[in-house]
Amino acid sequence: MLGLHWADLLKARAIAGSANGTAKVNGSAKSVIFIWLWGGPAQLDTFDPKPNAPAEFRGPFSTIQTRSPGVRYSELFPKLASRSDQFSLIRSMHSQSNDHGVAGTVGLTGSIAGAVGLDGKPKAGQARPTTGSIVAKVRKLDSGLPSFMVVGGKLHQGKKAIIGEGGGFLGASCDPFRIVYDQMHGMRIPALELGQGLTPERLEDRKKLNTAISDASRKLDSKGFSHSWGEHMDQAFALLMRPEARSLFDLSLEPASVRDQYGRTRFGQSCLLARRLVEKGIPFVQVNWSDHVEAEEDAGDGGWDHHYRNFQIMIDRHGPWLDHSLSALFDDLKNRGLLDSTLVVAVGEFGRTPKINDKAGRDHWEHCYSALIAGGGIKPGMVIGTSDARAERPSSRPCTPGDLAATIHQAIGITSEQSQTLGITVDGEPIAELF
Amino acid sequence: MHFFVAMICSIVGGSVYQLQEAPSQLVKVTNDGSFKSHLVWSPDGKKLLFTRIHQGKMELCTVKAEKSAEVVALVVPSPNTPHFDGHWSPDGKSIVYVHDILQGTDGKLQINEVSADGTGAKILIPHKAFEESPRYSPDGKHLAWVSTRDGNQEIYSIELANQKVQRLTQDQGFDNNPNWKPDGSRIVFASSRFGNFEICSMKKDGTGVLRLTNDSAMDVWPVYSPDGKAIAFTSNRTGSYNIFVMNEDGSGVRNITNNKSINNFAAWSPDGKSIAFISNHQGSYEVYIKSILQGRRME
Repeated sequence: MLGLHWADLLKARAIAGSANGTAKVNGSAKSVIFIWLWGGPAQLDTFDPKPNAPAEFRGPFSTIQTRSPGVRYSELFPKLASRSDQFSLIRSMHSQSNDHGVAGTVGLTGSIAGAVGLDGKPKAGQARPTTGSIVAKVRKLDSGLPSFMVVGGKLHQGKKAIIGEGGGFLGASCDPFRIVYDQMHGMRIPALELGQGLTPERLEDRKKLNTAISDASRKLDSKGFSHSWGEHMDQAFALLMRPEARSLFDLSLEPASVRDQYGRTRFGQSCLLARRLVEKGIPFVQVNWSDHVEAEEDAGDGGWDHHYRNFQIMIDRHGPWLDHSLSALFDDLKNRGLLDSTLVVAVGEFGRTPKINDKAGRDHWEHCYSALIAGGGIKPGMVIGTSDARAERPSSRPCTPGDLAATIHQAIGITSEQSQTLGITVDGEPIAELF
Repeated sequence: MHFFVAMICSIVGGSVYQLQEAPSQLVKVTNDGSFKSHLVWSPDGKKLLFTRIHQGKMELCTVKAEKSAEVVALVVPSPNTPHFDGHWSPDGKSIVYVHDILQGTDGKLQINEVSADGTGAKILIPHKAFEESPRYSPDGKHLAWVSTRDGNQEIYSIELANQKVQRLTQDQGFDNNPNWKPDGSRIVFASSRFGNFEICSMKKDGTGVLRLTNDSAMDVWPVYSPDGKAIAFTSNRTGSYNIFVMNEDGSGVRNITNNKSINNFAAWSPDGKSIAFISNHQGSYEVYIKSILQGRRME
């Protein structure tokens, strides 16, 4: 189905659906929380364990039963296992590249077009807008709040930002509004960082704000920043002049028990912020687990690129952190009645080599990995696709990042007419079993 | 002050390990909000050494073993590359640790030794493969550590005077987290040779392996008590990570943290009266000290 226009696919599916009564064109999701597990979690050590595989494949973890009959996860995810009836799992994801940069673009836009990897050579075609930008274009908010927000820093491979986190041909107005949580400073707004370390709290003081704006403007002029950056800063200042908007980012307004429930990691607090944002109607919130792929050096929680020390890192950090925070997010959304209207997707750019390397790690593996998807009208408790005996390849119902992007579009109700108007093509089709 | 006595319900060879706890005696040592791991008590009992991920850097830190103490980063050579999983020499004058030499999106691990004040670093185990978890023997003459130089994670010992390396484990499973018995006769470790991680011990030459835990859950990071009669370790057998204590033969397992949070990296104080650990039960990952008034095998 590669290359077919998304609108045509939707139309065909609508016709087929109306005949058998199974498919829906317009989804019920009002918002999307897209959790980006940058670096690529290992499918065998998370949600597709292979306890009968040889030791050099299966790894050191046992498996645990979930609430879904016959479905087992790695023992590192007991909280998610006890909530498996709240979300669905895709075990047959596969992508087109084992290069973070290229697979990252594919994962975020659904297409390899315009991706740039380690070799620095762009792939053919113009980079597509990221899914969040498309949603932002279609679901632009009248309130003046940004329609697409990223919680987390810019995604990098090495020192280079990857392609595919922005609006592309939709324009800079569809780029994400970015906010970053760190434990030292709380929430930061990178677009304002030339302004003397502004924080939402400091903006309470209008005098300081005016001074900061002047300072920032002077610095901007002297550094010759582009118009689009200026737009972002204008948007940021306009937003933060409004107390109700500033309060959106203020996690201190949450009870300490709720903050603890999410976990006091960057990822945990970022998930909490994502909940606050969708609660206020932001249509698309992307949570970046980390800025960089590496596990050891990162301003965030360290990425999932575990070429070495994979199992120790999974035990000590990434396993319990993901289990804890994602479970808290599901619980919180459910308890607030938001899960039905909020689509939650958690996925990385690829999986990891089924065969363990000689550094107690796993390397890049684009041929098979897993994704979690929940809420927003998606059927819960399902397992879409299977992998083979060593989780090396999909053995049934293979799904691509393009399929996942198309599924998000369908869940949030982007119509074929809207897609056509915007000139948007998605290299995949919705995963119909989820609707 | 309210105390209670918890009798571990295990009788092995006519003896029972008795653990007396003071539940109100939980001291919160750190409060900086950063993630911490690999906790070790200094030989004089005054400080704790641990790994902290702080502002994007993984570093060794020390803190006085007291309430609300100030965390001090250990300044080692090449401080901007990750250095972690430290261990004090028996005389407290040196620290061994893992140094990660970053290369692109990959890294090379080696074992370094540095003076306790952070000066005079030298390489003890050059990078050959994955090198991790260095632990001095109680007499300071040997170092046990984990390496993948023969394929998967195995435990090795090096005689520091002559650099003679001995491979102690040989199994398809992962063998890691070594820790010496205070009399130097045995090493306790975590092994996945039985399907998932279990606590085992072996003689210092690698023979006489004993399986000490037998649970479908994960048991890791074991550490002997100062008298060598008990072992503290981390297990997720309750669905969350808790610190457990058992007799050195694996009997009498008892959960001493017993909450639904992450409690990990137990470290027994040199006088045997306290166990330090890292927990997020109050939100962020902080160092706590729990009093254990009495821990001994009762005849």
